[in-house]
Amino acid sequence: MSLFSLRGVCFKDIIYYPDIEIPENLATFICGESGCGKSTLLKLLSGVASPSAGEITYNTSSILKYDPVMLRREVLLCGQSAYLFDGSITDNFAQYYSYRDLQAPTTTEMRKFLNICSADFLHTAECNTMSGGERQRIFTAICLSLQPKVLLMDEPTSALDDSTANSVLTNIKSFCRHQNITLIVVSHSKAIVEAFADNTITLEGGSRHE
Amino acid sequence: MNDVVVMNIWQFALIYLLLIIVLIVMKKCRINQTKLLFVASLRMTVQLVLAGLALTYIIQNPHPLFTIAYLFLMTGFAVYTVLSRNKDINKRFKIVVGVSLSLTGLSIVSFFILVVVGVSLFNPQYTVPISGMIIGNAMTGVGLGLRTFNENIKSQRARIESLLNIGATPQKILIPFVNQALETALLPTLNSMIGMGIISLPGMMTGQILSGTLPMTAIMYQIAIIIAICAVTCLSIFCSLYFGYKTLYNKRQQIVS
Repeated sequence: MSLFSLRGVCFKDIIYYPDIEIPENLATFICGESGCGKSTLLKLLSGVASPSAGEITYNTSSILKYDPVMLRREVLLCGQSAYLFDGSITDNFAQYYSYRDLQAPTTTEMRKFLNICSADFLHTAECNTMSGGERQRIFTAICLSLQPKVLLMDEPTSALDDSTANSVLTNIKSFCRHQNITLIVVSHSKAIVEAFADNTITLEGGSRHE
Repeated sequence: MNDVVVMNIWQFALIYLLLIIVLIVMKKCRINQTKLLFVASLRMTVQLVLAGLALTYIIQNPHPLFTIAYLFLMTGFAVYTVLSRNKDINKRFKIVVGVSLSLTGLSIVSFFILVVVGVSLFNPQYTVPISGMIIGNAMTGVGLGLRTFNENIKSQRARIESLLNIGATPQKILIPFVNQALETALLPTLNSMIGMGIISLPGMMTGQILSGTLPMTAIMYQIAIIIAICAVTCLSIFCSLYFGYKTLYNKRQQIVS
């Protein structure tokens, strides 16, 4: 039983997707050359972008039937931009939670998710002096802590070295398995895909029509 | 009180000499805006002379139609100026800005002339200069507010995207940008009020005193107009942005810009 299925989906007449099925509770990795529509696919799944043709179903009903904001909270996209507010790690959790109308998490909860993402910094540390990789891990920890049913990750290890990337993904994958979170990851790294994917979808670069 | 000295046209022309100083400084500092200086000076002169001719005619032959036509032309021009400086906003946003600027501007003008001064809206002697100041300031304010809003939205793309992705509503994401732009655009008006009377004697008051009005009368007009300007700036920017930001997302709660 697929969680998502795509039928004849195309985006702005630029990207034409093959029919895709994505299973529940597994780690699905999406690969393909740059420009083939990997990031856009994640946006289409979470509903921050809509296809210009074709249909996407989630849990057997069209994603158009879901309230768009509720869908995004359930199918959460941890994007590549990894934006952090000025201020400490605690401030950032608090800001993101307040935008979601949630109460800020306790220090223990924050620690738990920071540890999963190998971001063992003091929660009072200022984020604007941190490196790209550090910011990426903190952002991932925030997204993970919001506990969606499906976590979409766009190049979650792009700013990390190999060993950190491995430990972050190992932890995230085991967390998701225990919590029954479906993981859908875009990655261009073959090594990572081979090590972590339960299921792989390769998009053809050639599916892009002029 | 003496009547104002009517300037001799040749003596008046000497004031243009000051522009040569501006030109020299600009050349020295390599500010490549010589053309703008010429065009701006020329347009200012021609537009004001034309306005002077029109006003002479309107005041000598007062007719409600002339005054109304002047009001509408000026409002239309203000809307056009704001929109031509903010071309990259969507069509619905443009309509919102146009309606907001016209309605708030005309309401404050009506309140000022009808209630505070207590003369007919068709009296060109009051309506033309007062509406000019009120709508002109609203135009500057909305222009600044829109520019700040757009620039912040553009420079904070990553923040907007991230918040949208984690399931924040577009309203919640965009309202801080509205508030921030409103604050930025209001500050010049508020700051100018602080120095008024000490650092600057404002234009309208200066003009009235020059033409022989009692200073206390001139000051009452000035206070009234400053408050009206403050109110119109605040209202016109608020309406433009508060109703305008809603055009930035669609029914699927996607930011469309």
